Amino acid sequence: MFVLAESNQLYVGDMLFYLISFIILAALVWHFAWKPVTQMMEKRAKRVANDIDSAQKNRKEAAALAAQRQAELKGSKHEAAQIVSDAKKSGENQRTKIVEAAQNDAASIKAQAAIDAEQARQDALLSAKDDVANLSVEIASKLIQKQLNADDQQALIDSYIEGLVKHEA
Amino acid sequence: MGGDAYTFKLFGLNFNWTNVISCIVVCVVVFFLMFALSRHVTMKPKGGQNALEWLIDFTNSIVRGQFTADTAGFFEFFIFILFVFLFVSNQLGLFVQIGWGGHELVRSPTADPVITLTFSMSAILLSHFAGMTHRGLKEYFKGYVQPNAIMMPINFIEEFSNFLTLGLRIFGNIYSGELLLKLLGQLAFSHGVPTILVSLPIEMVWQGFSVFIGAIQAYVFVTLTSVYISRKVVGE
Repeated sequence: MFVLAESNQLYVGDMLFYLISFIILAALVWHFAWKPVTQMMEKRAKRVANDIDSAQKNRKEAAALAAQRQAELKGSKHEAAQIVSDAKKSGENQRTKIVEAAQNDAASIKAQAAIDAEQARQDALLSAKDDVANLSVEIASKLIQKQLNADDQQALIDSYIEGLVKHEA
Repeated sequence: MGGDAYTFKLFGLNFNWTNVISCIVVCVVVFFLMFALSRHVTMKPKGGQNALEWLIDFTNSIVRGQFTADTAGFFEFFIFILFVFLFVSNQLGLFVQIGWGGHELVRSPTADPVITLTFSMSAILLSHFAGMTHRGLKEYFKGYVQPNAIMMPINFIEEFSNFLTLGLRIFGNIYSGELLLKLLGQLAFSHGVPTILVSLPIEMVWQGFSVFIGAIQAYVFVTLTSVYISRKVVGE
């Protein structure tokens, strides 16, 4: 089988051998190396693109959320201020109301007291007047009833004093 | 061409042992290299997968510069496997050259013009075939009378010269590199220690340069191949 080559022969067998073995090699490399690696590269490219997209989306969402929070915070601050001022106002109102009521009460009490005092004075005056009138009527009646002499005078005075004592008692 | 190699006949075809063995070696090396690099493919690449992806990106960039996105598909893989095969072929003879009884058994397959012309022929035929299937027969034949009918002979010559130059360029570079390596090796052992001392650094430098040339030639071959194919597929 081993023969030395003749220089002017074309090795068609070699050509075919190379072609066929190259095709077989290509098929094997395609199956074992090219396909898995390029598929993975494609998958990675897709994933990277997806990641970039989703990162952008996430960033947008986060920004929107932050803005919303900011707005809410501002709103709540405002609300808190509102509440505090409302409370202050209502407290103030309450205070003035209470004070007013107290003043009113005091005034009415005072007025009542004045009226009562006046009433008492009037009553006292009236009763004193009655007493004086009665007394003078009594005295006059007693003067008229008895002729005035020394004895009678003495008796009158005594009876008067007696009357006083009686009256006092 | 192969005048110093063992040959055999099978099915009435001539075979050259050097080329057959070298081909098997290259195929095995390429396959196990690719196989090893593509184990444990993960979303986050590391180690071998990184290297393989870099290589794929590299050859893809060659193809994508020439093709439109919808036509690139299959050719990306073709250019990739062609590049790897030619690269390993170019380097094989620099590291392993086995001879037996004064006849070579293993060397760079691309140092044989029959092999390089086989590949250039395949590339050119593929370009014609792809041109027909992608653009239709009418458009394909129209390509020969562009820009006008007078250019037809020149277009035919161009196709033929493309085939020749594509194959012979890589052959010439690799063959001359290995020839010079062999000559330096002979020089080294011609007069004992002094010639070894002289030729060793030269040999090392030339070997390094040949590695570079091998890479460049593989790159040039696949770039031109993709240009020829894309010209037929996409149009000029």
